[in-house]
This record gives sequence, structure tokens and C-alpha cells, in this order.
Amino acid sequence: MTLNPALVADATVEVTSVSKWFGQKVAVSDVTCSFGPGLTGLLGPNGAGKTTLLRMLTGLTLPSQGEVLVKGALPRASVDRYREIGFVPEESALYNTLTAHEYVTYAATLSGLGDPGTAADGALATVELSADADRAIGGFSKGMRQRTKVAAALVHDPEILVLDEPLNGTDPVQRAHLIALLAKLAGEGRTVIVSSHVLQEVERMTDRVIAIVDGKLAAAGDIAAIRRAMSHIPYRVLIECNRPRDFAAALLDNDAVSSVTIDDSRILLETTDLIALGTAVSRQARDLDVRLSKFAPQDESLESVFRYLVGGR
Amino acid sequence: MNAFLAIVRVTIKQTLRLRRALGLLLLSGSVAGMYLLFMIATRNSTNTLALQREEAIEVSIGMTIGVFMNIVVPVVTLIIATSVMGDERRDNTMSFLVLRPIRRVVIAGAKVTAAFLEALVLTGIGAAAFGILVGIKIETFSYFVPLLVGTTIATAAYAAIFVPLGYLLKRATLIGLTYVFIWENGIAAAVPALSSLSPWRIGASAIAGLAPPEFQELVGSEFGLGAIDPGAGGAVIKAVVLMAVCSAIMASILRRRDLAT
Repeated sequence: MTLNPALVADATVEVTSVSKWFGQKVAVSDVTCSFGPGLTGLLGPNGAGKTTLLRMLTGLTLPSQGEVLVKGALPRASVDRYREIGFVPEESALYNTLTAHEYVTYAATLSGLGDPGTAADGALATVELSADADRAIGGFSKGMRQRTKVAAALVHDPEILVLDEPLNGTDPVQRAHLIALLAKLAGEGRTVIVSSHVLQEVERMTDRVIAIVDGKLAAAGDIAAIRRAMSHIPYRVLIECNRPRDFAAALLDNDAVSSVTIDDSRILLETTDLIALGTAVSRQARDLDVRLSKFAPQDESLESVFRYLVGGR
Repeated sequence: MNAFLAIVRVTIKQTLRLRRALGLLLLSGSVAGMYLLFMIATRNSTNTLALQREEAIEVSIGMTIGVFMNIVVPVVTLIIATSVMGDERRDNTMSFLVLRPIRRVVIAGAKVTAAFLEALVLTGIGAAAFGILVGIKIETFSYFVPLLVGTTIATAAYAAIFVPLGYLLKRATLIGLTYVFIWENGIAAAVPALSSLSPWRIGASAIAGLAPPEFQELVGSEFGLGAIDPGAGGAVIKAVVLMAVCSAIMASILRRRDLAT
């Protein structure tokens, strides 16, 4: 028997043959996967269908085809289901005239908590926002707004937490704190589903990944396996220097370089071995006395990687 | 505080923006301003007191029905009510609301109530100012309460209709204005059987039912109630039914459709 890496044994959220289309546009196509206790990364480039899938998990959007079950029932079967779900949307979803404390207290009141004020204090402390709790959300930075949304999603202590690009706009310190918080929540036995278009972010949070490209399931399971699948895909690297033509010609002879394109003072290289390329560039620049002003790997979104994965299925 | 009251409170806080409120207050008070000009213009009238009083009553009724109830109340309520759900959709805050364990009818009912209360503050102040000036002019405040009751009922009925409109349509204000001027002044006026669905006439019927006899003499010619009989009780029931039905429709939309973005 072959185990499907997209499925888990102790699933709390089950997605079965789910498709969603808006008019002629197919946003999600025949996706089957499941999520259980622990942290799962939902990975995919922008526009891959992650947000649509997450909205279907929460019941905000209904599938055009297929079925989503949350703890064995349709998300919209009963509003009581929302006692168990916390959702952090990618978009703002904040009331700018309210303070952070008012906003989270509002969330607690709507969740039917007995002492909403105290619950809000706790949730804001969890995301380290207590000091700014009485400031209006309208004046918050993007990172603070993200943390306010996370506090509102956590305030009713949900068993299932769904977060759409929660690290967007956060600074490195806030990001590290949020990642640690999500790992802690997952460690407590909650089902935590986090979407991101940045592989490195997801890699820091979890080993289990569901990758989506063009609305289709591209890869699932152990992140190391997905990384291995990516090793054959050429990286694109942008180089800027004072003598691009001479430098490009010299690099063409190097085995680490797959292709070279020149555009004014910029060279765009493709390589399957980023480390070997770095060494070669540094050596050639020294030998030819070329002054480098930029060496920047492209494809941070990993879109090409995901396309490769989809193409290889 | 329960969920219903919390939604009403936050909705009012979120949508009652100072600049817009002042603009709408100005619109609401414009009828009182016009009536003040009328009072100044007729201050030195040589007509008998009885004639002056008759003229004042006629102008009061004309302004109430032709301007205040026909333009001011629907426009003020339209702008407030369409933003109550429309702003949530535009600001992407609907997901915050609907992903809480609260019944959809509670959300819808709270939104309609918030729109009604917020609009009533604005239309009520305009109605009160106008009613006071009418009272000063005709030396009795017997028209004040009927005017306030009619304004309250019409505001409630308009709020019930315009809240779902604001959620469903991106150009709700434009469509709402079309509704006010084409439906209220055209279709419902031409087909008396449809007048029960006209908030303007529902509010006017309450005024007609409660106004003192000297005002009622003008009711037939000025109010144009169609098939509606004058009476506050019936008007209240119609407004309450309209609010309940629109809340139920809104709740059903929230339950069945994808969340609008």
C-alpha cells in the first residue's frame, strides 16, 4: 500500500477533490489533502490558489466541487464550528478606529467568552502587543497589524488555527517571535496551517509542507524531499559590474553556468549550483580585475520551482 | 455585552465619521433652514392670523412630504445604511465577523439596527429642528411628535432596505438613489397597490395618522399615500416587518453565498 504524503492519519481538516472556479478562472483544481495536529506549511507562489484554499477551509468560500470537512463536518454546518477555528486573513481585516485592545475584546465578545477584556489582555500579551494595546490600529505598522490579527484569532483558544501569509510585513525580530509562537501552539496539539510564498519561512516553522501551484497540488510531505526535487532547477542570478561583456564571456566557460544574458551593465545567469557559481564569480572578478556592484539570486518567490514541480507530475 | 450590542456599537463607531456626519447633519437640517427663511419672509405679512396659520401649515406639510420625507430621510439613511455592510466588505472585515460563533441573523439584525440608530440621530435632529420651528410659527407643538414618529418609521424602513443593498452592490448609493427617485416617486406612485412597499409612504402614513385635524385636511392632497390608510400602528408594523424580512434575507445571503470581497 502506498501512503499519500498529502494525507495525515489523524486529520482534523480534510480536503477531498476540491475545486473552485470563479467564472472561467480556475483558482483551485482537484486538490486532496488533509491537516492534523502540528504545523503544516501551505506553500506556493503568489496567485497559486493558497488563499482560496484557506478560505474554503474556513467556510468563507464554498467549493465549486469536492468537499472540505472540519472535524468531520462542513465548516458552515453550524456557527458553533467557529469556536474551534481561528483565522488570520492576508488582507487587513482590521477596524482602524478601534484600539488593539478594543478589537481583540470585540473578537472575544463575539466568540461568547465570559470575560472578554481579560481574554484580550492575554492574547495581546501572547503576541507582545500589550504596550500598544490602547493605541488605535489605524496608526499601527504592518507588523503590528499582523500581530493584532493573530491575537484576535487566538483569543478564543481555537483548536484549529489558519493563517494566510502571517509573516508578511513583520520585521526579523517579530518574525522570529511569531514563528516560535506558532511552533508552540502546534506543539500544544493544535492544527496550525500557515500559508507562505517563501520557502525559507516555512522551512523555519515545519517539516510538513503542502505545495500548490496554479491551483493544483504540486508536492506534499517532508520538506527535505521537496528540497531535493528542487536541486535540479536552475537558479537565476543577477550580476552588475563595470565590464559586463568581458565578464559574461569569461563566465560562459564555467561548468556552473547554464546560460548567460546581458542587458546593459547587468548579467543574468542561470546555474544549478549556486555555491560553485559564487566561487567562480569571485575568482573571475579577481582575475579580470572586474568591479562587482551586485550579486543577487532571483526567483525568491520560487515560482519557477513550483512550476517545475507541477510540470514534473 | 452580548454579540448583538457589540456589533451595533462597533458598527456605529466605525461608520460615524465626523466629516460625513456633519455633512449629513447639514442636509438633515436644510429643511429647518428653508422653513426659517419662510418664517423670516412672512414675518411682516398683512394677511389675517387665520390665513397666516393656514399658509404655515400648508408649507409645513409640503416641506415635510415633498422635501424632508422624500429626499432628506432616504438620502441620509441611504448613505449611512449602505456603508454599514459596504465598509465591512471594502475593508475586508467581514471575515472577522462571520468567522465567529454567532448566528447570521444576529449579524444582519445588528447591522440593520446600527444603520437605523445612526441614521435616526441625523434625521431625528433635522426633524426636531424643523418641528420646533413649525411649532413656533403655528404656536402649537401638536405636529412635533407626529413628525418625529414618521421620521423614525421611514428611517427604519429605509435602513432595512439599504443595508443589504450596500453588501450586495458596489455602487449601492447610486442604485439606492435610483430606487428612491424611480421607485418611490414613479412606480409606487403610479401603482397604488405597491405603496405598501414604499418607506416614504409608510412614514407619511404615520404622520397622517397622528397629525392634528387641521393638518389632516391637507393629507389627501399632499401625502399621496396610495393604498395606505393613515395610521401610526400600521406604519410601525410595516417598518418592523420590513426590518425583519430584510435581516432574514441578509442572513440567508451570508449563510449561502461566498463572502463578498
